[in-house]
Amino acid sequence: MPAAPLISVRALSKQFRTYRRREGLWGGIQNLFHREHQYVTAVDRVSFSIERGEMVGYIGPNGAGKSTTIKMLTGILVPSSGEIVINQFVPWRQRTAYVKTIGVVFGQRTQLWWDIAVIESFKLLRRIYDVSQRDFDDRMEKFNTVLGIRDYLHTPVRKLSLGERMRCDLAAALLHNPPLLFLDEPTIGLDVVAKDHIRQFLRAINQTFRTTVLLTTHDLDDIEELCSRLMIIDHGRVLYDGPLAALKQKLLRTKVVKFAVRDSEQAARVAALSREGLELAQVDDLTYRIRFDRARISTADLIRQILACAEVRDLLIEDEPIEEIVKRIYAGGALQEVSA
Amino acid sequence: MSWRNVGVVYRKELTDSLRDRRTVISMIVVPILVMPIFTIGLGVLSVLLVGRAMLEVPKVMVLGGERSPSVLAALHALPDIRIVPARPDYAQEISGKAIRVAVAIPPDFDAAVSRGDAATVRIFMFQGELKSGFAANRMQKFLADYRVRIVRERLQKRALPARLADPFSIEEQNVAPPEKVSGALIGGLVPYFVILLCLTGAMYPAIDLTAGEKERGTIETILCSPVSRLHLVLGKFFMVLTASLFSGLLAILSMSMTFLAGKKILEHLSSANNWASSLAVSPKAALWVFLMIVPLAVLLSAALLTIAVFAKSYKEAQSYLSPLTIFVILPAIVSMLPGVEINARLALIPVLSTSLISSEIVAGTYHWNYIVLIFVSSCVYAAAALALAIRMFQREDVLFRT
Repeated sequence: MPAAPLISVRALSKQFRTYRRREGLWGGIQNLFHREHQYVTAVDRVSFSIERGEMVGYIGPNGAGKSTTIKMLTGILVPSSGEIVINQFVPWRQRTAYVKTIGVVFGQRTQLWWDIAVIESFKLLRRIYDVSQRDFDDRMEKFNTVLGIRDYLHTPVRKLSLGERMRCDLAAALLHNPPLLFLDEPTIGLDVVAKDHIRQFLRAINQTFRTTVLLTTHDLDDIEELCSRLMIIDHGRVLYDGPLAALKQKLLRTKVVKFAVRDSEQAARVAALSREGLELAQVDDLTYRIRFDRARISTADLIRQILACAEVRDLLIEDEPIEEIVKRIYAGGALQEVSA
Repeated sequence: MSWRNVGVVYRKELTDSLRDRRTVISMIVVPILVMPIFTIGLGVLSVLLVGRAMLEVPKVMVLGGERSPSVLAALHALPDIRIVPARPDYAQEISGKAIRVAVAIPPDFDAAVSRGDAATVRIFMFQGELKSGFAANRMQKFLADYRVRIVRERLQKRALPARLADPFSIEEQNVAPPEKVSGALIGGLVPYFVILLCLTGAMYPAIDLTAGEKERGTIETILCSPVSRLHLVLGKFFMVLTASLFSGLLAILSMSMTFLAGKKILEHLSSANNWASSLAVSPKAALWVFLMIVPLAVLLSAALLTIAVFAKSYKEAQSYLSPLTIFVILPAIVSMLPGVEINARLALIPVLSTSLISSEIVAGTYHWNYIVLIFVSSCVYAAAALALAIRMFQREDVLFRT
C-alpha cells in the first residue's frame, strides 16, 4: 500500500462575507442604514497533494488566495467547504494537536516578543510546545551554529535587523522539530545576502531532516533556488501545478542572445541580421542584444548567422526571465496553452 | 481545560504589558496619583478661590437713606465694605458685577424706627453668585446686629433685662459617628474613583491584547500555536482583570492614605474638632469595597475585551471604548445624587449598585442582604460578559475582520 501524501487537499474553498460599500458621501450615509452583503470567494475548489520531503512554491499575485490557503492549512481558518488532511490531522478540527507537528513563519509578522530578548520568546515557545529542556538545549545549539543567532539571543526583537529577525523566526518555528514547515513570504524585504542565507538554511533542513516545506513568495528566485515544484494560484484557483522546468519548457517564448563584436567596422555589419520575429538592440558601442521568438527562429540558426556576418568576441544565450513568464500567466491566457 | 496553558498566556501578557509604558501609567501611576492630586488640587483651589472671595472688600451701593443719618453713619463705619454713590441702574451694576449688592433704605427710616412703624430694608443681590452672596450675608448680619442694638436700647430705656429679646440660644451638635460623617461627605466619591480607575486601568491592556495584536499582525502567529482559543482568551482576560483590580486596589489604598494625611494636616492646623478630622476610610471598609469591586472588575474587563477584539486597530478600539466610559461614569454619578438610595431594584443595575453599596460601606453601614444580592447579581453579569468575550474569540469573522 503506497503511503498517503503528507498533505492532501480536496476541493478546498473559502468564502468571506463582506459588505458592499457605496461610494461618496450619500453612499456613506446609506451604508449606515442598510448594508448589502456579498460573498467573496478567496479560494475556489483547490486540490493538491504534497509528498513528504517536497519543497513546493506557492505563488500568485496579491489577493490571489495564497495567505487564505496557508491560514486554512495551518488551522487558523475553517474552510467553507472541501477537505484538508495533513499528517492524518484535519487542521481546524484537531488544531492544537496538529500545530505541534508544523512550523509556521509569516514573513511580514513575527511570533517573537517585540520588546523582549529573543531567548525569552524561545523559552516561552518551549513551554507552549512542551519541548523538553534537553531537546531545547540541543536544538538551540544547532540553530546557533547553522543560523548564527547566538550573538543576538539577548537583544530585544525590535532592535534586530529584518534578516536577523527572520533567522530567529525560523529557529522559533523549528524549535519543536516539526516535519512540515509553512513559510509565508519568508524572504520579503531581505537583502541579497540575507536571502541567500535563509535559502541555504532551508535547503539544508530539507536535505538533512526531509522537512517538507510549502512556501509562498513574490521572489521567483526563491522558487528557482529552492523548489522543484511550483503551484500558481490566481482568483482562488490553481492555474499550474508541476515542476518549474516543465513550466519553462512550455511557456518559454523568447530567448536572448547577447554578443560583442571586435571593432566598429564589424559593428556596422550587425544591422544585416535584422528581420521579423527578432528584436535587435545595441547595448553599447560594440555590444548587442537580440531577443527572438523560439517558435519562429531556431537558436542554432541564429547563432550561425551571427557568426557568419561578424567577428564575435563574446556570446551569451539566456532564457526569458521567469518573472516574464509569470507576468504573462497573471495577465491571463498564457496557461491555456499548457492546460493539458 | 488546561490551566497550565492559561497560565503561560497570562504570564506572557503580564510580562509584555509591564513593558508597555501606557499600561504602566494607566495601571499604576494614575491610580496612585489621581486621588492626592484631586483632593489637594481641589482643596487648594477652593481655599484660594473662596478665600479670595471672602477677602474681597465688596462694593455696596446705598439707595435712599436721606434723613436717616444714624443708619448711614453705622454703614459708613463698617471697615470691610466700600460704599459707592447711588445710581438708578443699580440692578445692571449688580448683574454686571460692578458692585456686589445694593441696600435700599426707605425714606425717613430712622424716624419710622423710632416711632415703632413697620419698615423694610431691601438687599439687592445676584442670586447664586458667590461674591454677591458673601456681600449680601455681610449686609444681613449688619442689619440684624443693628436691629438687636435698637432692641437693646429700647429695653434699656424701659429698664428691662436684655434677655427679654433673646430668650434662648440655639446650638448644633453632630451625633453621627465619624465614619458616617465621612461616609456622607466622601462616600460617593470613593466608589466613583475606584470604579473609574478599574476601567481606565484595564482599558489599555484590553486594547493592546486584542486590537493591538491585530495591528502588529501577531494574532495569526499566536493563533498558530497549540494554545486553544479558550486558553488564549482566558489568559488575556486574567491579564486585563489583573490590571483592573490592581488599579482599583491602588486607588483604594491611595485614597485611604490621602484622607489619613489630610486628617493629620487638618488636625495639625486647627486643634478644633471640625468635620474634616472625621474624613477616613477604615481598613475594614476598604476591604469590603474591594471585595464588591471584584465582580464588577470581571464584568468591565470582559466587556472591554469583547469590544476591543472587534476593532482592527488601536485607534478603532479607542473610539469604540470611549462610550463605555460614559456608561460607567453615569451610574457612578447617579449614585452621588442626593436622595438616591439603595433598594432591591437598583441593586440589580450593574455599576450603580456597586457604587451605592460602596458608599454605604464607606459610611460604616453594612446592609448584608443588599451586599449579598449585589455581589451575586454582579457575578451573574460578569459571567455573562466573560462568556460573550470567549465566544467572540471563537469567531473568525471577528478575529480576521477586514
